[in-house]
Amino acid sequence: MREPAVIARDLVLAYGERVALTTSDFDIPAGGLTALIGPNGSGKSTILNAIAGLLEPASGRLAVLAGPRRSAAIAYVLQSTAVNEAMPITVREVVGMGRYGSLGPFRRFTTQDRALCLAAMERLAITELASRHLDELSGGQRQRVFVAQGLAQAADLLLLDEPITGLDLPSTQRIRAAIDAEREKGTTVILTTHELADAAAADWVLLLAGRVVAAGSPAEVLVPARLSEAYGVSFVTEGGRTLIDDPGHRPRTARHGDTHFRVGPDLDALSE
Amino acid sequence: MFDWLTDPFSVHFMQQALLGGLLAAVTTSLIGTWVVIRGMAFMGDALAHGVLPGIALAFVLGLDLTLGAILGALVMVAGIAFVHRKARLREDTGIGLLFVGMLALGVIIVSRLPSFTTSLTTFLFGDILGVRSSDLLIQAAAAALALAGITLLYRPFLVLSFNEAKAQVLCLQPRLAHVAMLTLLTLAIVTSFRAVGTLLVFGLLIAPPATAALLARSVPTMMLTAVGLGCASVVIGLLLSWHLGTAAGATVAAVAVAVFFAVLFARDVADRVFRSRRRTAVVDGGS
Repeated sequence: MREPAVIARDLVLAYGERVALTTSDFDIPAGGLTALIGPNGSGKSTILNAIAGLLEPASGRLAVLAGPRRSAAIAYVLQSTAVNEAMPITVREVVGMGRYGSLGPFRRFTTQDRALCLAAMERLAITELASRHLDELSGGQRQRVFVAQGLAQAADLLLLDEPITGLDLPSTQRIRAAIDAEREKGTTVILTTHELADAAAADWVLLLAGRVVAAGSPAEVLVPARLSEAYGVSFVTEGGRTLIDDPGHRPRTARHGDTHFRVGPDLDALSE
Repeated sequence: MFDWLTDPFSVHFMQQALLGGLLAAVTTSLIGTWVVIRGMAFMGDALAHGVLPGIALAFVLGLDLTLGAILGALVMVAGIAFVHRKARLREDTGIGLLFVGMLALGVIIVSRLPSFTTSLTTFLFGDILGVRSSDLLIQAAAAALALAGITLLYRPFLVLSFNEAKAQVLCLQPRLAHVAMLTLLTLAIVTSFRAVGTLLVFGLLIAPPATAALLARSVPTMMLTAVGLGCASVVIGLLLSWHLGTAAGATVAAVAVAVFFAVLFARDVADRVFRSRRRTAVVDGGS
């Protein structure tokens, strides 16, 4: 494992009296892609919120990027950015907000700031939408704008909360490509997902269920025994794929013995 | 026609009213833009009425009414925060409780005065025709402060309005920005209530920015449009009140609201015409 970007020791995270993550120890390596996976309410978004500084640990220690927090160091693409439709704001301005962390309230945009915003928009293929308002965009286009805002920040740590959940294919492909490019560049990327395939493609995985069930490489973590522990149902591995072992469903992929059937690798069904 | 427009403003008190109204329109429109964008209209309404007991108390004790209004606003904001935190109720519940409670307290205090009806009417509806030079100075200072505050805090306000969590991640101090926004909102209300009253200041705070939201494509344009519409409402309202013999403050507020519905209707008609022409062009092109 490489040098950690995030170190958690005896970490407890809570919203008031409701504990979202019980005492946990984990590291997240610097550079590369880390996936946080687990059922709904397992603590995925809570960990991202804590790393981003939006939630203070109830107890324990959480060290991020081994130093004092800098405004430009962490970019966070939120899961559901609720924007008032009365807000007259263009795509260009939304992406430009990503630079406010470096510029602060007063400093003017430099040529480099503009270049970073333009590059982020080009990577997400939203340059032609620059003058459009957010409420004129589809859900997929909006999500690409929010990811571009995160990229424009040029941060050391990029956090993405379910960045491709429920998106159309073009938006999914663009966002996946942008995440891969950041990963190759050496940025530490941490995302939450319900897709087992996305977690399998990461460099590091944290499997959560209100605690850290397992942390390590996808091959170490995404095994039937661990997944069963996290999701409370049985999994089997077949032909290199990890599938839900569900005797109550009609067969959709392959028959297993006389009574067990697989419903595929998509964990969404378990999370709803 | 020219005389119809100029005659009213040849009188000194109407000149004072015009200046007071225009300054109130500038301050309220600048702050009101953010109130509309952030969906804080109920808070603005409650704050506008919540200052009443402070004003009434200052009147009874012979103190400056603006000071009383500031005190009322502070109690209102602190009370809303207290209810939200301690009772674990949504903020709008706290706003509603404080709104009614403070308004009732204001009326109770005023009801002890011998000139109950006159005083209450003046506090609620203002006396734009009785604006004094000292009031104008305070209003001018408030307009300058509002302009400076909004210019300096534009980015924190913009990101706070976009998403509070995003503002925190970008280290733009969303809580401080929220407090600054409430402070500017209080400033707009307490310095404008003399002209249009606590009841009608809300009209100037919401109506011009809401109308501007139908027309503008950026926040700075929305603010400028709101200021223009607010000032136009003041001029038209004063002219109408002069010629029709109606209450000046109420006429100004009514014009501001009427302009909103006129623009909304015109935009709807323009949209229908545009869609109809486009459909016709598609059919013609296809045949």
